Amino acid sequence: MDQVIVVGYGTQKKVNLTGSIASLDQKVLANRPITNSTQALQNLPGVFTNQTKGRPGADAATIRIRGVSTLNNSNPLVLVDGIEFPLGDVNPNDIESISVLKDAASSSIYGNRAANGVILVKTKTGKRGAFRLDYNFYTGNQRATQFPDVVTNSVEYMEGKNRALANEGKPPESSQALIDEYKAGTDPFIYPNTNWFDEMFQTAPLQEHNLRLSGGSEKTAFSVSLGYLNQDGIMIQTSGKRYSLNTNVSSDITKNLKIGASVVGNFWTNRESAYTADEGNGEGGLMGLIYRGLPMQTPYAQDGNYADQWIRVPGHNFFRNPVALSNEGFRKNNQYRSLANLFAEVLLPFNIRYKTTIAANLLYGIEKFSYPQIYLTNTKTGVVSPIGNTPLRGLRQTSQNNINLTNYHTVNWDHKLDKHTLGLLGGFSIESFNDGNFSAYNQGYLGNELTELNAGSTSPQVSGTSAQTKLISYFGRLNYNFSEKYLFEANARYDGTSRFAKGNRWGFFPSFSAGWRLSEEDFLKDSRSLSNLKIRASYGKLGNQSIALGNQSVALFSYVDAISLGQNYSFNGNIVSGAAITQVSDPNITWETTTMSDIGLDASFFNSSLSFELDWFDKKTSNILRQISIPAQVGNLGGPIQNIGSVSNKGIEISLGYKNMINQFRYNIDANITYLENKVIDVRGQKYYSGNTIVQEGSAIDSFFGLQAVGIFQTAEEVQNHPFQNIGTVPGDLKYRDIDGNNIIDNNDRVVIGNSIPKYTYGFSLGAGYKNFDFSAIFQGLYDVDTYLTGNLAQPYKNGAGVTQDWLAESWTPENLNASLPRLTTSNGYPQNFQTSSFWVRDASYLRLKNIQLGYSFPKKLLAKTGISQLKVFVNAQNYLTFTDFKFSDPERNLTRGDLIEYPNAKSITAGVNVSF
Amino acid sequence: MKKYSLILLILFSLTACKDSFLDVTPTDRFTQSTFWNTKEQGEAALNATYAVLINTNSNYSARNAVYLDALTPNTYQYNADENVISRGLHNAATGTFNTVWNASYLGIGRANNFLANIDKVTMDEALKNRYKAEAKFLRALYYFPLWNLYGGAPLITEATNYEKQASLPRNTAEEVLAQILKDLDDAALNDVLPSSYTGADKGRVTRGAVQAFKARILLYAGRWEEAAAAAKKVIDSKVYSLFPDYRGLFYLENEGNSEVIFDVQYKFPEFAHSLDVSLDQQLGTAPLPTLVNDYYATDGKPILSSAIYNPAKPYDNRDSRLQATVILPGTTFKGAVVTDIQYPSTGYGQKKYTIFKDNEKPTIVPTSGTSELNYILLRYADVLLMYAEAINEASGVNSALSAAAAINLVRARVKMPDLAIGLTKEQLREEIRHERRIELAGEGFYYYDILRWKIAEQVLNTDVYNSKGARIDNRSFNASRDYLWPIPSIAIQNNPALTQNPNYGK
Repeated sequence: MDQVIVVGYGTQKKVNLTGSIASLDQKVLANRPITNSTQALQNLPGVFTNQTKGRPGADAATIRIRGVSTLNNSNPLVLVDGIEFPLGDVNPNDIESISVLKDAASSSIYGNRAANGVILVKTKTGKRGAFRLDYNFYTGNQRATQFPDVVTNSVEYMEGKNRALANEGKPPESSQALIDEYKAGTDPFIYPNTNWFDEMFQTAPLQEHNLRLSGGSEKTAFSVSLGYLNQDGIMIQTSGKRYSLNTNVSSDITKNLKIGASVVGNFWTNRESAYTADEGNGEGGLMGLIYRGLPMQTPYAQDGNYADQWIRVPGHNFFRNPVALSNEGFRKNNQYRSLANLFAEVLLPFNIRYKTTIAANLLYGIEKFSYPQIYLTNTKTGVVSPIGNTPLRGLRQTSQNNINLTNYHTVNWDHKLDKHTLGLLGGFSIESFNDGNFSAYNQGYLGNELTELNAGSTSPQVSGTSAQTKLISYFGRLNYNFSEKYLFEANARYDGTSRFAKGNRWGFFPSFSAGWRLSEEDFLKDSRSLSNLKIRASYGKLGNQSIALGNQSVALFSYVDAISLGQNYSFNGNIVSGAAITQVSDPNITWETTTMSDIGLDASFFNSSLSFELDWFDKKTSNILRQISIPAQVGNLGGPIQNIGSVSNKGIEISLGYKNMINQFRYNIDANITYLENKVIDVRGQKYYSGNTIVQEGSAIDSFFGLQAVGIFQTAEEVQNHPFQNIGTVPGDLKYRDIDGNNIIDNNDRVVIGNSIPKYTYGFSLGAGYKNFDFSAIFQGLYDVDTYLTGNLAQPYKNGAGVTQDWLAESWTPENLNASLPRLTTSNGYPQNFQTSSFWVRDASYLRLKNIQLGYSFPKKLLAKTGISQLKVFVNAQNYLTFTDFKFSDPERNLTRGDLIEYPNAKSITAGVNVSF
Repeated sequence: MKKYSLILLILFSLTACKDSFLDVTPTDRFTQSTFWNTKEQGEAALNATYAVLINTNSNYSARNAVYLDALTPNTYQYNADENVISRGLHNAATGTFNTVWNASYLGIGRANNFLANIDKVTMDEALKNRYKAEAKFLRALYYFPLWNLYGGAPLITEATNYEKQASLPRNTAEEVLAQILKDLDDAALNDVLPSSYTGADKGRVTRGAVQAFKARILLYAGRWEEAAAAAKKVIDSKVYSLFPDYRGLFYLENEGNSEVIFDVQYKFPEFAHSLDVSLDQQLGTAPLPTLVNDYYATDGKPILSSAIYNPAKPYDNRDSRLQATVILPGTTFKGAVVTDIQYPSTGYGQKKYTIFKDNEKPTIVPTSGTSELNYILLRYADVLLMYAEAINEASGVNSALSAAAAINLVRARVKMPDLAIGLTKEQLREEIRHERRIELAGEGFYYYDILRWKIAEQVLNTDVYNSKGARIDNRSFNASRDYLWPIPSIAIQNNPALTQNPNYGK
């Protein structure tokens, strides 16, 4: 009942909250093999976490709080101990609690950055008096969750491709002689049947150690912790290590003065191929190559060198051997981030508390790409030749340098008079963000083992830039309650930002909320079954200042009429610099503003053993900033970024909890579900296309947009009678609906065919304990959500890539009229069937057992003589069970990314121990 | 109270800086108000107009220009947009139509912005006039596809202005043509452009480039007399001569040789293309047997009627331009004998626009984005052929240089015999067209030729075969539609005032 929750610039008793806040504490996180703190937020109502990749050191989950309310950055603001800091750079083991501020009432005190919700992280501190040493350790293995069912038999691949080409009216690619030779061949180097997923993925170990020393005297408390995570990737030659430090101390210098300091430090060092695991070189890195891999290719030749292909097919004109690219060269990313935080708190007369905090958030990163020279041996002819179409041998080094400084001051006054309780908070904050980067590149290396810039000799290139943004803010809060029965709160923030032109900089973001604890009323006070009943309501405004432009997550100076440099040319080998207007600017842009209403009901019964929480919310974001598309005839300029429209997110969150104990058997169930309706209300009638998604009025953001498939043509007559699709259309092709009724199927027949924002997100956790055993399980699920795939293997024989089994078995033929797939063709050779259409929209709903944990705590009696105060052993299984119809890859994926494949998620089994002294 | 005042002081001092604290200016770019002051800035704006030539979307970029031949019977592209278009499966949403449209207007917009603002810059007037002439030539260059391929597009010649220009409808092809010719005439006015440049200016627009491009435009427009006159000006200027070695004309070490009138400039590593990889390794655009068989035997006769053609050794005794343009199985290339399966797309590879030599093994294997061979947009042999065609088509023009004589100059370079004497106008037309195809094969110009000669539906409605005679694909050309490109879907989507060309959907 007396649970205290961290709120903006303070704390509050949970029962007195009038806003909507979800929270979790360290107990939920304890001992789980979480490699990135962003993965911790599962099972919170209104919070959708999506871990789209398992790449060591880059496996952060994206977090969406109450939907997607902007076309720009939708990430929530994360504050660690009051300072903006990335959640992924906090060791999960150092987290004491996390509060997620969901509605305007709770987050408007963070004004212009709060529109996507706010996450407050409190790190662990020492307890005064006690001295304690904790050591945690776990280790285990990880494996990939899911891969497509790809054809790995070379003969089947070749025969299938010939069949696909025949259907396009093209001659076979592989001659019968070659197929016969392959069938008869026995040498596995010359006639391989390679499964590239087997070659490139492995069972990989991970381990984590955490040591914490904490305690304090009567006046001073401290905590020092060290963490070490060592994770090998499930893709060969990938790994990540994290070293973390969290130290804090606070002390009462005098009766009226308290000072404290903390340092959170995090050092990541990651390794993967210079070709990158899943993003670079126009292929989506090695993942792209793996999804392109053919069964006729093999990693190694007879002589132990890397193999080259001897069968060369169009679209696979050279073999970028992924094993070779993994083993040779590297991409190493070293990133150090730290947060240093100093505060002083003074108790002034009249019970006024003044607090000031100065903090520096530093990032220093160095990324190094060592591009190797690799030679491949042709397994049939023995000819050795250099690998084709990979970056030339060279070295690229990029450094990143960010310094964010924050200084804020708050004044607090709490007063209680009879049944009236009043709290006042006023504050001022000033922040500056300085981001810089520098990149250098060199070529002309004499050996792969030379991995410094200085060792190269030709074609050096440099680039670099820096940018600064600033924020000034004034904020305040008023709390009032009458005998903890009638609750009222008002918050406001007045923010000025450097990101907009003079005159459009300042924004005011107020919020109001009220609550009524009916359970405190006389007529309910004596109810035995009811322990708490509260209704609450809030309304307020929030802002968003971040503007995305193209690949830039943050576009600064989009209000400036800029003439960009770098539009260079060369004359006779001499580079000349060029400058041009590349974008139309709109000097009048200003804040995106979100207004949100929230009505909530909290109830608990039977001594709080049964609890229930319900929130209805209506969130509307207006003045959304977005680059508009303008006709190319205006100099093919980028459109201006303008405040173009509004988006609505309406939804309901329900959570239900029950806990009980029967004799020595304890158990609890917590379940929650969020329904969310996302809708673009107004974008001035424009339509914004991005690949196969659209932003348009009346539809959810980034809805899939394409033709509506209405089955497969069965007869030539049917093709004849249908509106014209293409001169090549024949039976076995997809049939599209003529939406505009003009008897021609074209771009004007496209409609919304799927949604990429889940309508329902849900989760539940089960816990049980018997004597010294305890058990917990956490499930997470999505329902009513789609995804769309266009990449290699998602479509047959795309760009010379492979094919999945279902295409060979289940595609339409005159003998198989009721087939689930259209006739087999290559996707490039016959694009008609692979236009964006409803036929290829895939249901991405899933239910996943995120984690299951079983633990045993040794009885205190046994430990009494050893000096150990606590000893626990545990096992975890992560991602081990998934229910879904999505079979292509892991369903927990970036739902709008159709073309490229990300580093797969891992499932893991780990075991560990906790010891405390 | 002391503490109070201290706090108030801190708060006050921090708030005092208020709004000016938020003033941040960009340090990596100019703004409109800080630009257009110096000669360097004006020149940079002009350079940026040139830079559109190498934009990957531009139809003048090396890849796109060379690959245009895959829309003709010359070469074959197995999977990109060129394949879709050559099979007649394209529509207004096909990417190439949009990218070429965009790149054209990118160049036009930059030229317009330059021309609208350059007078704000105080600088040497002669140099300023030269810059303006360069910009006008470039604007004409960028309007060319909008006239020739799209059949007319919004005609915009003022500084980019979103409000004024976003909803302008299409102008007719004739209006765009008139603007192109006006810009070229303006660029030629008063001879503000030099005949040639040296050193770090080599590659800029010359007097000859303006006349040669004007000749091309007039030729494509069927204005024969004017075309002949423009071409004659280039010939008479005596600035250019045929480079003695036809293959060497396209070698890296001979860039900017005596035959080159205007070329698109590349430089590794900053501005590179990938033709060395895409033509040689990726089968980007592969010569077809119809092209290979069209090269005459060295006696100047088609292979079917030549006595010295030997079907058992089909590449012997042939016009040497065959060996210089096409990688032929059984011949030596890159220091090794080309095998039968080396170029699986058609059996042939395109040699022209790769840097490789027949008898030298390359020291390194090039990778994507490492080729720097300039793409030649205008060369003297083309001017001679333009002249020959124009003068043959024009009636009643008397000139010291006959059409046949101009052709013979081109043939003499590759040691092909002179044309037979006494050919009729029609016979000469056939020889001129054949000569253009052979001389310019693999350079992307044949596509414009088969469109303007209106022979596309005859030569493109056919299956295509590889070197062994096996059918590899089909082609389709719809004469009622495909003589023009569609206005791109996205352009119409963003500006509904744009009308579509006949028989295309939106």
